[in-house]
Amino acid sequence: MERDLEQLHSALNYLKVLRSNVGQVFETVSNGLGANHGEEGKENKFMIELQELLTTVNNNLRDIETTVSNLTTPTGPFNLGNTSYLSQETTQERQALYSQLVNSYRWTDKVRDYSSLAGNILATNSVSKTYKTLSTTKRRKTQTSNHNVPPEVIESLITSIDRLFPDVTITASRPFAPNPIIQASLGRVLKSIIAFKGLMIEWVVVKAHSESNDLWTESRYRVLRKVTENCHAAMCHFHSPTMPELAVRSFMHWFHSYNTLFSSPCKRCGNYLHSNLPPTWRDLRTLEPYHEDCK
Amino acid sequence: MGVTVLQQFPIVENRTGPLTIDLLTKRISALGATQQGQFLVDCETFTSIQQLGHQRTVHVLHNSEQPATVFSILETGTKTIPLATDGLFDLLMTKMNNFYTAKKQTKVESKGPRFEIGDFLVKLGSVTITQNFKGVLVEVEYKPCVVPAMCWELMREFLQGFLGSSVPNTPPAYLQNRMQEIYTPIDTIHQYLEQFTMYRKSPGMRT
Repeated sequence: MERDLEQLHSALNYLKVLRSNVGQVFETVSNGLGANHGEEGKENKFMIELQELLTTVNNNLRDIETTVSNLTTPTGPFNLGNTSYLSQETTQERQALYSQLVNSYRWTDKVRDYSSLAGNILATNSVSKTYKTLSTTKRRKTQTSNHNVPPEVIESLITSIDRLFPDVTITASRPFAPNPIIQASLGRVLKSIIAFKGLMIEWVVVKAHSESNDLWTESRYRVLRKVTENCHAAMCHFHSPTMPELAVRSFMHWFHSYNTLFSSPCKRCGNYLHSNLPPTWRDLRTLEPYHEDCK
Repeated sequence: MGVTVLQQFPIVENRTGPLTIDLLTKRISALGATQQGQFLVDCETFTSIQQLGHQRTVHVLHNSEQPATVFSILETGTKTIPLATDGLFDLLMTKMNNFYTAKKQTKVESKGPRFEIGDFLVKLGSVTITQNFKGVLVEVEYKPCVVPAMCWELMREFLQGFLGSSVPNTPPAYLQNRMQEIYTPIDTIHQYLEQFTMYRKSPGMRT
């Protein structure tokens, strides 16, 4: 197959050369005698030139013939599957279908390529967002839902977190039936408003103590907006549908490290400020403070 | 309202007040600050008349950051009593003209441009006592934080980065006693009064 293609390519190349050379012959003939042939015996010179050109054309023709004879004729008609019926289509507007078919074929081909690539990449960085594991060999028992848990369970989780850290005070409200919104004040540094969905954290926003408890407006301070952003990242990082209580606990543990937001220097550069912001990132495992650009 | 540090900026010889403000403006702009209007803090001092017995002093201050409030600090000699009231207090003082008289030639002002840079608020004030230029006061506020102890190191880094080595490593005397308390606007007023008193005492320019 590979060799066939190569030969086909070279045959087409020879054809191109032939065409250009024939074009040159006609150009010379149409130009006729010119000043560049000199004065003496100009007819002779012209004839010689023409002859040379014709020889090259002859040679090209021979090349083509040999390559064409080397080509293998395809065995039988190409198998186009059901697409061959498209050629029997008589209505005008549907005759363009074939090109569309080819396009969509290319598309699906690409989709296949990309999805296999993406599959490879995702397999190495598995995010445990879904119940399904990539390997289908292990059969897990079906999980119970974490979206629909009795309010008492959430209540006990919140009180246990409240007891875990002495400088975090938590007040809960339930504007949306069983799903509580808690306001966690971290010492005198900041407060966060956390919305739960069942046992899972749904939304976090970090604000200063002087700001409203509204869930939808951002803080007016740049540093706290940055912390909100990082909290979202951590929320996704700690999220685990299989062990929701642990996820909430580890998130709160990480969040607790912000009680030194203004008072601890960056672990990497040793400074307090970088582009007028204190270290707003806390390492997810070691809880050490880093600047946005230092981590 | 965040923690505020008021800092005197020394005036080098043969550099005038406007030139110093200009220099600081250039520095803060180079750091990426944008100017957000002007500011003004002023202070007038009244003393009680002799018939009232033991002499008391009232300092009345205005801060453009809290435009609807009049701050006053009463010094009885043994105690200082701060008071934050609304604008009518000014009228009350004029009514009490017979008991509390304004000291002559003591109106102090600090005014100049106001800059925002990240969460910091920087104000470059030139201090004048009855129109005579006395020196330069730089006010830096870090808005998100309310406890001085938590953010002093951070503010020191900012101040030293922008004012140079004229910034001491310890917080201003007034703040040192209140490092763990929540910062309020009256604390800024106290710092201004402290600085203004020093300007009043020193004749000529403070360098």
